[in-house]
Amino acid sequence: MNAFNRNVLSAAVSVVILSLGGLAHAEETIKIAVAGPITGPVAQYGDMQMIGAQMAVAQINAKGGVNGKKLEAVLMDDVCEPKQAVAVANQIVNQKIKYVVGHLCSGSTQPASKLYEEEGVLMITPAATNPAITQQKYKMVFRTIGTDDQQGPTAGRYIAQTIKPKKLAILHDKQQYGEGIAKEVDKTVKAAGIKPVLFEGINKGQTDFSALITKMKKDGVDFVYYGGYHPELGLLLRQSKEQGFDATYMGPEGVGNKDISAIAGPASEGLLVTLPADFSTNPENADLVKVFTDKSQDPTGPFVMPSYAAVQIIADAITGAKTEDAVKLAEYIRQNSFDTPIGKVAFKENGDLKEFEFVIFEWHKDATKTPVK
Amino acid sequence: MSGFSLLEFIQQIINGLTLGSIYALIAIGYTMVYGIIGMINFAHGEIYMIGAYVGLLVITVFGLLGVDSISLILLATLAISILVTGSYGWTVERLAYRPLRGSPRLVPLISAIGVSIFLQNYVQIGQGARDVSMQPVLTGGWRFGPEDGFQVYLSYMQVLIAVVTVAFMAGLSLFIGRSRMGRACRACSQDRAMANLLGIDTDRVIALTFVLGAALAAVAGVLVSMYYGLVNPFIGFLAGLKAFTAAVLGGIGSIPGAMLGGVVLGLAESFASAYLQTEYKDVVAFGLLILVLLVRPTGLLGRPDVEKV
Repeated sequence: MNAFNRNVLSAAVSVVILSLGGLAHAEETIKIAVAGPITGPVAQYGDMQMIGAQMAVAQINAKGGVNGKKLEAVLMDDVCEPKQAVAVANQIVNQKIKYVVGHLCSGSTQPASKLYEEEGVLMITPAATNPAITQQKYKMVFRTIGTDDQQGPTAGRYIAQTIKPKKLAILHDKQQYGEGIAKEVDKTVKAAGIKPVLFEGINKGQTDFSALITKMKKDGVDFVYYGGYHPELGLLLRQSKEQGFDATYMGPEGVGNKDISAIAGPASEGLLVTLPADFSTNPENADLVKVFTDKSQDPTGPFVMPSYAAVQIIADAITGAKTEDAVKLAEYIRQNSFDTPIGKVAFKENGDLKEFEFVIFEWHKDATKTPVK
Repeated sequence: MSGFSLLEFIQQIINGLTLGSIYALIAIGYTMVYGIIGMINFAHGEIYMIGAYVGLLVITVFGLLGVDSISLILLATLAISILVTGSYGWTVERLAYRPLRGSPRLVPLISAIGVSIFLQNYVQIGQGARDVSMQPVLTGGWRFGPEDGFQVYLSYMQVLIAVVTVAFMAGLSLFIGRSRMGRACRACSQDRAMANLLGIDTDRVIALTFVLGAALAAVAGVLVSMYYGLVNPFIGFLAGLKAFTAAVLGGIGSIPGAMLGGVVLGLAESFASAYLQTEYKDVVAFGLLILVLLVRPTGLLGRPDVEKV
């Protein structure tokens, strides 16, 4: 390379660097990573998370942002797969993003949370309910949703006290979330003196359940609890109806979205689902709900408001603690309480909410739901 | 668990045969390609997935048009899906395998895996990565057994799956056994170089093999989308794996073997789920494969002289 070329090259490089510096300066924002499934079989839940978080970012920015800086949501797709979640977490750490709203599935939240803890990134999951996530004594991990050891017993008590099934079957998808909650239900009903006739795992992605249904039908099962997500349960419901197996099914919040009715059709009528209370019906949220519906977004999904709350908590903490240091913010969040669309929230030492309520809904074939308790 | 019931046993056989028919249809694609060029076409599961998508789309379009004759919907859907999926099969062979003919065995294998990943992502981009679902077209069935006890249920859809499968298998057997092109196929599978010397256009035979395999996978895809009503771009992987297992179980390279392997696999899964635990059904299915291969390394109906990969 001759001298002329070298000069031109270095000039070009410095121009590029200067302009990059200029860009960075012009748009100094506080970045919040929103990590969840944007693609894949449970992307519907990711939608809820994304619209909730983005709405919070938009509204906070409209009010002038945080300490004069705008918030910026950086969407990350983990497909709800543990491996992908770790890759996403690494990306977040490498991009020096300090705050994460996510992840969504318990199975992907768990491995990612370890990284955030080590790297000092503040993580608030609006959706992962497996108890193990907050049992690691991590300092940087919070959630704005209840846990399966609240949700499972809620379902279990309802089964034992209200349904009183003659023969109960408990199924799960062998994933951290599904199996975890199925075990909680199992524990609760056993304590109430009901012994399930069947406790079995199915395979994630399985499409044919006819053999299992035949078995339950023969055993005279009249109530089935399913721990897992909607694609498998949808097929279970549909194939049950077809075989003339008419037990009532119940599932956790992972089955409660519109797609279950798209898959199961009329068979989804009467399904019982434990979900966070529908925050969109709270009169105090009426204004917020209107903004969502004006943008033709659905605010009734179980993870929309918890995601909104997670972003808001981060923003409020930055304002309140007058720092952007994630470790100090975690401390601040643990000690203070916040007014959010999911109510006034305060956290336990381990990062769980002090209070959170699950409600039992009855699902209908047109994908609407009505509270039963 | 409660005791043995004959009616339940019959129901489980019905469940297993339905599942097995689907496996068998897909397995034939693997076995035919292997029989003729000695290569495992790992993209075959994706071809089946495309067949299922086309089936679901066509049925939905018919639904929107208000056509409600089941036989018309079925025939038209099968025809369109076979046409589209068959052309994918042909194109894949032409672009990804034919240029590699004569290269070491591992090369087309890698190419097949590449095609598989490509097709999966291609459908993901085109159709979205989410589940696409459809309500059942054909509902209802027959019930047998005591009014107040366990009733065996045989749905029209299950009968349809069995009938369509048997019809296409019989058609394929006739084609391979009786037609001129079928004879050319058999000749190629015995000795491709010799068949070529004797004036058979082997490239055409190989292309035909891919198209036939894809057509049967399309049939399986259409039946699956009618029966389960749920497809996504990832269904090809597991189905392909199971069908490949069925092909190996029956003896890879042998068409009756693939049919038998599919049915055996379906029954094994069904019984494992019924009398053990559902989570063990794959353990039993693959355990059976290992067992059969230990006793009969060439599979149930495989010829001992096949030695290709």
